[in-house]
Amino acid sequence: MKKNWWLSIVLIIVMLFLIGPFLIIFISAFGNEASLRFPPRGFTLDWFKKVLTMPMFLDSLKLSLRLGIFSSLIAMLLGLPVAYVTSRYDFRGKRFIELSTTLPVIIPQMVAGLALLRTFVMLNLFSIEMTLLIGHTAIVLPYVVRNVISTLVNFPPSIEEAAVSLGASRVRSFFIVVLPNITTGLISAFILTFITSFNNVPISLFLTGPGVSTLPIVMMTYMEYYFNPSIAALATILIAMTVGIVAISQKLLGVSRMM
Amino acid sequence: MVQHKKLYLLLLPCVVFLTVFFLVPLLVLVSGSIYEPGKGFVGQGYYNFFAQKLSRDAYFRSLSMGGLVTLISMVFSYPAAMAIVRIRSKSLKSFVMTLVVLPLMTNPVARTFAWLVVLGRNGLINNTLLSLGLIKRPERLLYTNGAVFVGLLQLFMPFMILSLISALENVSDDYSMAARSLGASGLKSFWYVQLPLTIEGLVIGGTLVFTGAITAYVTPAILGGSRILMLSTLLYQRASVTLDWGMATTIAMIMFLTTLGLNYALKSLGKVGRSRSRT
Repeated sequence: MKKNWWLSIVLIIVMLFLIGPFLIIFISAFGNEASLRFPPRGFTLDWFKKVLTMPMFLDSLKLSLRLGIFSSLIAMLLGLPVAYVTSRYDFRGKRFIELSTTLPVIIPQMVAGLALLRTFVMLNLFSIEMTLLIGHTAIVLPYVVRNVISTLVNFPPSIEEAAVSLGASRVRSFFIVVLPNITTGLISAFILTFITSFNNVPISLFLTGPGVSTLPIVMMTYMEYYFNPSIAALATILIAMTVGIVAISQKLLGVSRMM
Repeated sequence: MVQHKKLYLLLLPCVVFLTVFFLVPLLVLVSGSIYEPGKGFVGQGYYNFFAQKLSRDAYFRSLSMGGLVTLISMVFSYPAAMAIVRIRSKSLKSFVMTLVVLPLMTNPVARTFAWLVVLGRNGLINNTLLSLGLIKRPERLLYTNGAVFVGLLQLFMPFMILSLISALENVSDDYSMAARSLGASGLKSFWYVQLPLTIEGLVIGGTLVFTGAITAYVTPAILGGSRILMLSTLLYQRASVTLDWGMATTIAMIMFLTTLGLNYALKSLGKVGRSRSRT
């Protein structure tokens, strides 16, 4: 077959376009000028030091980590039973369940953010962090349900039936037979939901309040007032974190699972 | 029957959560957009939206920007996806796939920030052009349509590439080869054989890119600012800066209805494409 060299050229251009900006962030994080310029004229590590000691960034980082972990865990607790029941049984109202668990990905997040703002922040029912947690959980729930269903579909019910016919109760067979066999699926779902929550802007944008703000929002606000390499340093740290997560999950689960 | 009652019990927490914390707030929003007591006639908000030049412009800018981003990402992603599918070495292929997935996993603020460095007054492009003597003073590249376009293209292209890869992997090379051996030119076999077989991938990718581009907030906010207002940035401005709740709600509803409409339109377009591939 004829070698299609022009396909490879387009691929290289596309990859440069997709990955090039990452290299630019990386290089400018080490620039030694107070105002960002590219290419930088000198080298320094000060911006990393600065970023990692600024309480504004540290507090919001902690909040983002908390939100990522707890929204993923709550979504897992809510979504796992739904994924199990919908993948194993037919029942009245199944369509409704499927629709309502995919709703948070169909509705634009800006719309959901505004809706949550109008209802909960106006009513002043919960603390800001609690409202953020609710919003993030709703957004990541569909990913849990979808990922866990696709894992369960690949785990034959006959194995579970065997456990039941040997005298285990339904509940016991779930915890002893099903759960240990779907752990990789659960881990990949958790990674995906954590990243989704951690990177979220549109929901957090509406729900953050005075003194309580997630990292991406704080970064955006900071960028409005300062144009220096500290955001580049922070972005470098975040990208390194992402590369780490992607590398680890690839080792564990393979690329196809990450989508 | 007892068995089934227990099943519903398992579903209950999730259903209650989504109803109270998602469905009800949405319904409040929808009803607020249709009629608010003391705010004129039913549907006044929608009338006001299209009557004002600022919001009408933002709407059509979002639509045309979304369309352009989708089109250009298709043009570049198709050959790129073909090249990826043809990579023989397994390790090289998975490395390239990782590079495509990586941007999707990265914080959008960090990704968009890179374009500030490229397009800024002292950025890569201005500095290069200055040192080459092509321009005398830095050009304003940020806060333009072009800046928002480039940012959105980079943000959403991975979706297109990934949907095309999965579509192309289901099409055996044998089909194109058969067409070629029967005398079709390369272009003809692409147009009549491969393209119709991968139309679904284009539709899925197109839907993700289009709806993503018209609802994205971070990129237009950072690269467009208040000069290049899009639907999303206008929505946030109305909700948080001018505190115009009625307008914010209307914009949100228009955004939602537009994405629904696009989803539906592209789906039927895919159906037409597929039925034509059968004839």
